[in-house]
Amino acid sequence: MNWQVNYALKYLMDNHKDATAQHVRGDAIRIMMPHKPNVMAVISDAYTISAELAMQYHVNFPDMDFLCGYRKECVWEGGAIRYLEGNTIGWGSAGTLGSAIYNGDARSAAHKDYCFSYRLIRQIRSIKNLDREFDRIFTMTLTSGCTVRVGMIMEYEPTADAIRTFWDRFGPIDIAWNINPNGNPTQNAIEAGADLGCEVMKWDELKMLLRNR
Amino acid sequence: MGRVKDAAAEPLMTAREIAKYLLTSCKCLREFKSYMFGSSLFGVGSDIDILIVGPSGEPLSRLKEELRFAGKELPLDVLYMLPEEAKETGFVTSAGCIPLSQLARK
Repeated sequence: MNWQVNYALKYLMDNHKDATAQHVRGDAIRIMMPHKPNVMAVISDAYTISAELAMQYHVNFPDMDFLCGYRKECVWEGGAIRYLEGNTIGWGSAGTLGSAIYNGDARSAAHKDYCFSYRLIRQIRSIKNLDREFDRIFTMTLTSGCTVRVGMIMEYEPTADAIRTFWDRFGPIDIAWNINPNGNPTQNAIEAGADLGCEVMKWDELKMLLRNR
Repeated sequence: MGRVKDAAAEPLMTAREIAKYLLTSCKCLREFKSYMFGSSLFGVGSDIDILIVGPSGEPLSRLKEELRFAGKELPLDVLYMLPEEAKETGFVTSAGCIPLSQLARK
């Protein structure tokens, strides 16, 4: 059994008392919850999930309800997100899967770290166009014509390293949006952002910026 | 507690075993303060939270490389902080971080 499948089974067993889970084959497990639809989840150990990889999983597991990137550092490319959502397949972290089996919405679930913030952005009227490049990166074009590349930073208290690592991995961003409602970026994180050329901010500051640009 | 059908899942490393494994595999950890925090201290969480406190630059790059290799088959979630950030946030205390060296001795 793959290490990530083993972890996923143990995680579900320890944290979801009503669930029954079993290994199906390869990376796939089946999860059963009373009064909820059974879920076929594919547990990936990939560091990056591209559209090609998502399609490959879908070919290998045509009944897949949910694709889980088990590594915490797993990055989802925009093409993979579009493919999965277009095929009504849920996607996201182990935590997302855990919530989805309780809610009975595995097929429509999206990565819980970014879901709420991205939905918030989609509702902003001053944004004319939105291009999701990665799970945590989008470029928005405002009605004023201004284009802004935004990185969503999930850390509770983003550090200087979190900002630098993000920049190194995803390239230049205009705004590092700390989407975790609790905590605040450290002073070193704000300075690291300034050195690189991006502003590290919370929702209130981003909202203000969207109003003014 | 939920059930795993067919008893297919294999035993996972304990917090102590993970601490020992990381301290043995990642020599660069000697240059840093390292801790575990979160649910993996008490059972099985979806990941294993590790805090590293120390310098940035080349030593950090080397450590990241070692941890990436050591964590190839572990769901590590590693948070890196400068010493002044650890002090500013008080994270070690507020998150109940336990030094890896202490866990390994248990």
